[in-house]
Amino acid sequence: MSGIVCAIRGGPESQAPILRAIQLAQETGETVHFLFVVNLDFLTKTSSSRTHHLSSEMQQMGEFILLTAEDQAARQGITAQGSVRRGNVSKEIIALCQEIEADYVVLGRPRAADRPDVFDITRLETFIGQLQLQTTAQVVLAGGEEES
Amino acid sequence: MNRTFKHWLVATGLLALIVALLATQAGAQTAEPATLELIVGTVLDKQNQPVVDARVWLANTGHEDVLVETETQQDGRFALPIADPYAEAFQKPLTLHVERHHFEPATLDLTAEQVREIAALQSVVLPDIMLQRRVALGFWAAVGVFVLMLVLIATSKMHNTLAALLGMALVLTITYLGSLLIPDLYIFDFEHALQYIDWNVIFLIMGMMIFIAVVEGTGIFQWLAFFAYRVSGGRTWLLVLILMVITAIASAILDNVTTMLLMTPITVQIALALNMNPLALLIPEVMASNVGGISTLVGTPTNILIGSYAGISFASFLVNLTPGVLLAMAGLVLYTELIYRRQLKQASSEVSPVLLKRLEENARITQPGYLKKAGVVGLGMLLLFLFGEGFHLTPAVTAMMGATALLVWIRPNIEEMIEAVDWTTLVFFMALFIGVGAIQEVGLISAIADTIAWLVGEDLVLAMLIITWLGAVLSTVIPNIPFTAAMLPVVGYLTTTISGAENLVLFFCLSVGSAMGGNGSLIGASANLVTAGISERAGYPITYMYFLKRGFPALLITVSLAMVWLLFRFLVLG
Repeated sequence: MSGIVCAIRGGPESQAPILRAIQLAQETGETVHFLFVVNLDFLTKTSSSRTHHLSSEMQQMGEFILLTAEDQAARQGITAQGSVRRGNVSKEIIALCQEIEADYVVLGRPRAADRPDVFDITRLETFIGQLQLQTTAQVVLAGGEEES
Repeated sequence: MNRTFKHWLVATGLLALIVALLATQAGAQTAEPATLELIVGTVLDKQNQPVVDARVWLANTGHEDVLVETETQQDGRFALPIADPYAEAFQKPLTLHVERHHFEPATLDLTAEQVREIAALQSVVLPDIMLQRRVALGFWAAVGVFVLMLVLIATSKMHNTLAALLGMALVLTITYLGSLLIPDLYIFDFEHALQYIDWNVIFLIMGMMIFIAVVEGTGIFQWLAFFAYRVSGGRTWLLVLILMVITAIASAILDNVTTMLLMTPITVQIALALNMNPLALLIPEVMASNVGGISTLVGTPTNILIGSYAGISFASFLVNLTPGVLLAMAGLVLYTELIYRRQLKQASSEVSPVLLKRLEENARITQPGYLKKAGVVGLGMLLLFLFGEGFHLTPAVTAMMGATALLVWIRPNIEEMIEAVDWTTLVFFMALFIGVGAIQEVGLISAIADTIAWLVGEDLVLAMLIITWLGAVLSTVIPNIPFTAAMLPVVGYLTTTISGAENLVLFFCLSVGSAMGGNGSLIGASANLVTAGISERAGYPITYMYFLKRGFPALLITVSLAMVWLLFRFLVLG
């Protein structure tokens, strides 16, 4: 098995990785595997801890977000699959890369003023190091000029 | 023992426990002091509020030996039991001593005539004894702990419940350990702390949580959101309007956080299907949720607190606040349609069939049987909420009866249902009550009440404006639940001092201010944070500034409109 893993969270910032993954698929002929990870950590700071039910709602929302990406890929003649997982984003990206023996993993490039809960440059570099150690996938950063 | 019997057993046991607890509390509040004693009186504070658990003792004038002693009851009254009025000590001049933590001690010399009456076995009714507050180290310790708790919650440095538990633990540690070294650090003991927990609130919230746990799994919210999409027929201005109305009504029946937990994911999907920014739907929804919840007793945690403290019924909230909520909602709809007009116009009229099919699948009623039964029980609860007051049925008992009836009827996995209760919130409330009790005990609440009473004097309109706007503005920076809990005794005091406030108008002002204030900033309401969390997970973050820019004007509009109604309702209609 092989393929291109593209982890997305939806929204305008995910457009660059989606487009880059589609472009890569057009160049290599590989299948794109869009990944959405459900993480409910944000609930820990409020008085609500009803994660049991929200988890399935978030799963459905994630599937829908992936469907929009798959739809976008299909319109450009690219086969894409979606996968929703629960837990830690980094671990789930690595796990999916290992499972499908991905050749590429496309990640969004963080911006200077990015939010604290999104990978910053340092965390991204650490994560890329982990990816290179634990998988054979080549990391592609989207949303900027450079690629690694 | 078969499963059915176990269910009945659990349900009956639970119900019996609740009724017993609530009855015990009601009994405690109405307990009358014994009437056989010869010296009776009442101890009050500066605000004419009863001083509970004050030590009252009698001694011969100029001596410290205690002849008899007792403690004041819930209503501040005491009755000294005298076993042997013919004893020599009772023939001499007598002095009554009154002591209590956080008050200056007081003494009262009995007149010669009163001493003779005692000797003649005649009851002596003493004039009211007024105690003056004393600011000691315990005062500053309790205030410091409360401020720390607020800061930890407001800055999200700690989970709400953990912050409240920390506050409670610190108060008790200071009392038990700190006062060993410095006696003035004493705040209150555990037994006293427990008296500040309002079990009506705890059981009402618990009952509603069980009911909501059943409703939220039925898919009704998702279906309603999709229904809004269908009815709007691509007209996004109408879609926003219907979603706001649905959210407001749902928030009035359930709680805002649950409503937004369930509405946000499906709303994001609808927005994505329409190729529009989900925030154009989510922000109006969450604002409608914060406003809509105000119209009922169970719509917001702050209303539950207010209703229980002031004895305001479900029907009274509905009658006195719903018109104001409708007025505020009208203003909010116009405002949100205006600020999001560009995003609403940009929405796509063509929806991909693949996305539409998935949207429809995700918006199905998943448990129609549960929904039907929850509807029947919910209707029964609504009727009891509305008319139960007539036969002294408290909302807490109604909520627990409804929840238990629903559990027995649908027979869900009881462990799953118990897990569905948000115990962290219940613990939060219990710890919060103790934290607020501590500042009430040491006299901070009295000081605030005195200050506001001094500011407003006898002016009811000024008091209404101050309570409403203070609540609204402060709720944008500090969490509205602890704020409301702390303000209840203050408003209670003002209700007794300001002419015309006997109709509890100031409590309605507090309800409007504290709940609508939630729209002023991202941290103003838990529903805002939950919505922002889910939206951020979908790639559409709601930053503090983004919310503030749109939320604060919404606060000004909605509170002003609701204020107009309150003034009209209570000053013009009377």
